[in-house]
Amino acid sequence: MSRRPLKHSETRAGWLFSLPWIIGFLALFVWPLVASIWWSLCRFDMISPPRWVGLNNYVRLANDVTQQQGFGQALTNTMYYSLLSVPLSVVIGILLAVLLSARLRGQAIYRTLVFLPSVIPVVAASILWLWLLNPESGMINYLLSWIGIPPQNWLNQARSAFSLETVEVLQNYTAGNPLKLFGSKDALILMTLWGVGNFVVIYLAAISDIPQSLYEAAEMDGASPCRKLLHVTLPMLSPVIFFNLVMGLIRSVQTFTSIYVLSEGTGAPGGSLNLISLELFLSAFSSLEMGYASAMALLLFIGLMLATILLFRTSRYWVHYRMVA
Amino acid sequence: MSRFRNWISGFVLTCLIALMAVGWLSRETDLPLENRQEVLFWHFWGGRDRAVVNDVVKRFNESQDRFFVRAVAMPGNNLQAKLFLSVTGGDPPDLVNQDDPVLADWATRGVIQPIASVATTTQIHQLDQWMFESARRLSKVNQDYYGICNGLDIRALYYNKTLLDQHGLEPPKTIEELDRIATVLTPDSAAAAEGHYGYLPDSRRLWAWGYVFGGRFYNPQTGQVELDSNPIQQAIRWMASYSQRYGPDNLAAFRQGDQSLPGKSFPLLPAQSDSMVGRYGMIMDGQWRTRDLLDFGRKRKQLGLPSPEFGVCPLPPPPAGRSRAGWVNGNFFVIPTGAECPQGAWEFIQFWIGLNDPELAAKTCAAGGWIPVSQRVVETAEFQQFLIQNPLFAEFVDLASSPNQFPIPAVPGAAMFKRTVESAAYEAMSQPDRPVGPILQQANQRIQQQLQRARAE
Repeated sequence: MSRRPLKHSETRAGWLFSLPWIIGFLALFVWPLVASIWWSLCRFDMISPPRWVGLNNYVRLANDVTQQQGFGQALTNTMYYSLLSVPLSVVIGILLAVLLSARLRGQAIYRTLVFLPSVIPVVAASILWLWLLNPESGMINYLLSWIGIPPQNWLNQARSAFSLETVEVLQNYTAGNPLKLFGSKDALILMTLWGVGNFVVIYLAAISDIPQSLYEAAEMDGASPCRKLLHVTLPMLSPVIFFNLVMGLIRSVQTFTSIYVLSEGTGAPGGSLNLISLELFLSAFSSLEMGYASAMALLLFIGLMLATILLFRTSRYWVHYRMVA
Repeated sequence: MSRFRNWISGFVLTCLIALMAVGWLSRETDLPLENRQEVLFWHFWGGRDRAVVNDVVKRFNESQDRFFVRAVAMPGNNLQAKLFLSVTGGDPPDLVNQDDPVLADWATRGVIQPIASVATTTQIHQLDQWMFESARRLSKVNQDYYGICNGLDIRALYYNKTLLDQHGLEPPKTIEELDRIATVLTPDSAAAAEGHYGYLPDSRRLWAWGYVFGGRFYNPQTGQVELDSNPIQQAIRWMASYSQRYGPDNLAAFRQGDQSLPGKSFPLLPAQSDSMVGRYGMIMDGQWRTRDLLDFGRKRKQLGLPSPEFGVCPLPPPPAGRSRAGWVNGNFFVIPTGAECPQGAWEFIQFWIGLNDPELAAKTCAAGGWIPVSQRVVETAEFQQFLIQNPLFAEFVDLASSPNQFPIPAVPGAAMFKRTVESAAYEAMSQPDRPVGPILQQANQRIQQQLQRARAE
């Protein structure tokens, strides 16, 4: 079937209708991207014109990484946070979604309760968590005490649960002293997991879309509920898991408001909450090093892009798209 | 149905008209006169302080026939970015008030103009004689005024006198006496389990203790950072000795517990009505806490409850340290580059600080509970009356005149300087068994590199 060529007036109308979006795209996306690439090669403080410094900003970033200070520290903190919070969000999200998809009395109430934290503004939630994580009077330590875990320092401890310093603490541990394992980054992860409701909603929608016939076939083959979860639910959910993994990764690297509130904009204690987004903000708007901050932003963009490409590459082995006949 | 709809429409319309009328009646009636130049003034004060600021502005506007100040409350977050954008965009305010250590950054980048561009040489000399040394340090970059300090924040040691009396203790005059009081009130971590400490150093206060121990964080003559110098190492070792005594984890937990107090109340004050002891027997804090103590005393009196007596003393030094020393910061005015009415801004600055009429500044400082920047203002009858009513506040005012009150060094990148020092102090205090030297050397090197980069610009 041959297509009728567009008339000149139709083409013009098409461009006119697209123009608002094109202008927005060029002004708010392309221009800032090009400008930040240029600034990353300059010294720029927003007042005087940018001055060309070549790759100096990138060399400085590399030095920071080797010396584990500034950007290097922020990178390590971000990796710790992302590598733990994203997989945990996925696992907990799926488990909650599977539980909430069961036909129970009051199902709607449970679903609402799980989703509720996601609609609370981040600033309010962060202040709430400051209280919950209080080592002396916070509810989290109180709950932990029920299962015999000693009170943790949470937001006042730089040392994280999965770190070499903790290994050292465990090696020197003497019975009777309360073990303080969890630090500020673990607290941040806990807070992130509290807001997992967004993911749960997506999983719930995907679960309801899985054909019942697959479960019936599995039952006829004698599959246990566990088997059905592993061999029916998870493979059918894999495209959604993949989506949430990519989005979760991007979101985790962009986390800013909560760490700004929890650390009063300083990355305290001991720089343990200094994630890349905060380091970038402080470099740009406190130290006025817009060039250095642009280089950081660009590396962040490239890092995220590579991670996403890697996820896409591996997806062919574990993501199963349903074929519609 | 139609009648009901008409009734609703009429009601909504009446509400709208009423709202508009209220808006019109409560509009800013003090509009600038045509023959006066407007001075746009950005500040960040809110709450009860904003009323004091508005009153100063009103008094200034009433006294003027040349200038009219329009005050705009600008939230403190990102004020720097907003100011920079306004300067580069060619439409800056005429006057800004700030309290972050940004003066040198702004001055070296040309965002603000030197005060000499609006003040006469005589006035500059007058400022040199008139201002407290601590206020001058907050106003100058190298030897030039780039800002004018209009209020000081001084830290001293608050103590629960009733508690000290019960143990036969006197307020500390030396660091040994402070240690003794701390150990008598709280010998070890087991004693702290009751929820009280005699005294605990805070890692963020290395700025104060570093100066008290005789150190300086930066040498303006050589341009070198001196964070790893002996006095500062001693100060931080002394601070870390408290972590060693009570356990760093216990201290971290206790410190965070302070944040859970309602409304960030002063942890020196007893939380329960039947108690006479707060979370601390002594604590370092600023003059603004005297308001809390007064309010607390009044409340206890109304309830018919006895109130503990409180006192204030200077930070006690070690033998080779500085007396009446500490870390000072405060508010300062700056005039942005490209301001349309810098002369009007300068007039308002003089009015506020009381350069020509100290009584004017005394009124402002007494109303706001702010420390004046000149002894001339302190000596006015109105301010003396205020001090008689607030004897604890008088201790802070006395410290303001000390030559041993130092701010964060006025160097480019001072915000980063501050963060790095506090982070190093935290590291040393949270791991008291680690040697302090390497921690401070690493921080020192980092700040020095940043300074060199800033100078290269």
